[in-house]
Amino acid sequence: MSDLNLDATQLDRYSRHVIMDEVGPGGQAALLDASVLVVGAGGLGAPVLQYLAAAGVGRLGIADDDVVERSNLQRQVVHADADVGRPKVDSAREFVEALNPDVAVDTHQTRVDRDTVSDLVDDHDVVVDASDNFATRYLLNDACVLADTPLCHGAIYKFEGQATTVPAGGAPCYRCLFPEPPEPGTVPDCATTGVLGVLPGTIGAVQATEAVKLVTGIGDPLHGRMFTYDAADLSADEVPYRANPDCPVCGDDPVDSVASQTYQETCVVSE
Amino acid sequence: MQVTVDVKGEDDVEVDAGADATYADLLSAVDLSPHEVTVLVDGRPVPEDQPVNVDHVTVLRLVKGG
Repeated sequence: MSDLNLDATQLDRYSRHVIMDEVGPGGQAALLDASVLVVGAGGLGAPVLQYLAAAGVGRLGIADDDVVERSNLQRQVVHADADVGRPKVDSAREFVEALNPDVAVDTHQTRVDRDTVSDLVDDHDVVVDASDNFATRYLLNDACVLADTPLCHGAIYKFEGQATTVPAGGAPCYRCLFPEPPEPGTVPDCATTGVLGVLPGTIGAVQATEAVKLVTGIGDPLHGRMFTYDAADLSADEVPYRANPDCPVCGDDPVDSVASQTYQETCVVSE
Repeated sequence: MQVTVDVKGEDDVEVDAGADATYADLLSAVDLSPHEVTVLVDGRPVPEDQPVNVDHVTVLRLVKGG
């Protein structure tokens, strides 16, 4: 759909958007025209997919190489008990299709790596990082910056969450804030420390909000701002950050491709 | 020199930094490793081995989970 002609069912479904001055039929048409890649169909990916599907994003790409485990169900709300053992992309697709038939779903049951990332990113308007590892996180940052594709980042740990949005082309990007990934084993993950089940719902909703804002052009994205959230005392804060001219991806002398870089345990960008 | 270390998600800590103190020393004073955080001065990360020349830093954790 490339015009403002919503059919009667769509006018009903999206009526609470259409009546908003800030969204209106034009904003809804933009959502229906948009494509968003969600990398990770776990804790963060689940609410991102729910809200982007409900909002009527016309095409959703879902990338995840995992299968549903019972321990996921405490927070990964697009998967059900009967999905245990099934690929996450399959149950996520079924959830989206049941929620909104306007949304086309492309699934990629693979771990996004440097061989596949460029094609995936290039095929979408916005990318949402809902991954659970630093290799994917740095790879997505670098690939999105190089492709001029905006990236909505999120991460969670116990009661704490973070979210920021890397603008098309970066400056600043995630590496401007965290230049290099940590040494292996120095940063705990949810599997070893646990995570409050509702926390990814909060942070994922922030990421979905950012994606909707980017598509519709509404508001001020989290560019150069890291949103931080603490569920334990229900407090939020933000940390401003600036573009780093020495950033190897969006600085003055950037790399031109992720193909020659290493994105494993250390995710180092070679000079 | 008194330096305010603003660790996001925690209370601020006042650290008495010696003349040769580095940003790694500030982190050590608040029981954090340079591997797990970034230290920001005026919105940009600073190398951990550089001498401290400001009276306020922001410390942000790297978070892995998704």
